[in-house]
Amino acid sequence: MASKAKWTKKKDQDGELIFEIDQDTISKGLDAAFKKVRKTLNVPGFRKGKVPRAMFNQMYGETALYQDALNEVLPQAYTNALEEADVKPVAQPEISVESMEENKPWSIKATVAVAPEVTLGDYKGLKVNKQDTEVNSDDVDAEIDRLQKQQAELVLKETGKSENGDTVVIDYKGTVDGEAFDGGSADNYSLELGSGSFIPGFEDQLVDHETGDEVDVKVTFPEDYQAEDLAGREAHFQTTIHEIKTKELPTLDDDFAKDVDEDVETLAELKTKLENKLRDQKQQAAEDAVETQAVQQAVENAEYEKIPQAMIEQDIQSQVDQYLGNMQRQGINPQMYYQITGTTEDDLKKQFSADAENRIKTNLLLEAIVKAEDIKVEDDERAEEVKELAADYGMEEQAVRDALTADMLDHDIAIKKVVDLISDSAVQE
Amino acid sequence: MAAQDIILRPVITEASMADMDDKKYVFDVAVNANKIQVRQAIEEIFDVKVANVNIMNIKPKKKRVGRYVGKTNKRRKAIIKLTEDSKEIKIFENQ
Repeated sequence: MASKAKWTKKKDQDGELIFEIDQDTISKGLDAAFKKVRKTLNVPGFRKGKVPRAMFNQMYGETALYQDALNEVLPQAYTNALEEADVKPVAQPEISVESMEENKPWSIKATVAVAPEVTLGDYKGLKVNKQDTEVNSDDVDAEIDRLQKQQAELVLKETGKSENGDTVVIDYKGTVDGEAFDGGSADNYSLELGSGSFIPGFEDQLVDHETGDEVDVKVTFPEDYQAEDLAGREAHFQTTIHEIKTKELPTLDDDFAKDVDEDVETLAELKTKLENKLRDQKQQAAEDAVETQAVQQAVENAEYEKIPQAMIEQDIQSQVDQYLGNMQRQGINPQMYYQITGTTEDDLKKQFSADAENRIKTNLLLEAIVKAEDIKVEDDERAEEVKELAADYGMEEQAVRDALTADMLDHDIAIKKVVDLISDSAVQE
Repeated sequence: MAAQDIILRPVITEASMADMDDKKYVFDVAVNANKIQVRQAIEEIFDVKVANVNIMNIKPKKKRVGRYVGKTNKRRKAIIKLTEDSKEIKIFENQ
């Protein structure tokens, strides 16, 4: 195995790891490399793939195999060297060959960045803003109100005038300076007055009219209208109102409650249920807020060595990959995404780069605390975590165990425990 | 005839390489050489002991390039078996 790995730290977090690959490993690598190249060789007197090693060496020389052999053995040798020198890299190494001679161990130099040291500041008993978790009857009423509107039915208004909140079915023909323009007319369009879906002023002018009225709507396109040739211009819309529909709110009674939620019998029950739901939501939001604030403070309290550029780039790349991966699951591949949003990969990277440093700092901090607090993970905690993950992803527990290594699992659990530690000890004021 | 004029070149093929495990070596030899001359030449060049020599003639092959018909050279191939206690012949360097 590789031996005599030597780690020299250069400026910031970059360092050089010089290690050797011994002859045993090399000859194994050479054999493997020869096996591969042999398949493609045609030599007179031999069928394809049957050239003896000696014949090959005579024709091309053993050195022809060195590069392939190196590729073969390097990953393992590199891992071993890291272990021996106790170096934990945070990015892919740059490999260069120091010496490569026959019948001698090869010497390899790997330039790699390591994680910066973190000097922990205060992370317990941090002060965070007081979170409001009270749910009062106003909140419940607002929720009921929202549900009521959601359940509202549109009823045709036979007589009477249109009011704000009504929905009108209209034909309209729009002109600018007497000329029709694209998207300026429609037939039988249902428009909710006061919804703000049309140009400001349009909907207001349809209020207080009767069915069958023809209205000449005059509006000015806003200066920041998306179609540039229309922005800021005056337009006339010849509008005919065909129907006026008004929203009829359901009465608040037990039937309404049943319609909204099958599990409840009475309105009172619905209210209690909503109250509990709202309380849970607020509780959750409060916990999240405390956690975010506390962790952020802990990050700010700690001191960091310079974060290597490689680490930042890697973080950004992984964020981009994750984001595009999510899109892919929704059936949007990266090319489509860039086309739809009119962005490029660089834009996306820029978008994530803003938070990259903070994210890395947070991770480094949490890992440092795991070490400082000497947090251990118990078997039952592992089982618990696997169960949760299985439920989250709809997988079998065994499948989850297979997908994760024990180290990854322990790491995740330990990080979670640290986050809990920070947020539990935080003081609200 | 000198030994180097009798033994022309080793024949290196899959078949001849397989024979080497039995201490048999295959060489192209001069077309007018006999078994005794081959035996003596091999013993002189490689400093080994020969147990047995088998010889065969390879007939020329007809080859044509466009409308010209010609023949490849005729060859004479010797399979030389060494004695059990003899040292081996090194066809390749650093073997």
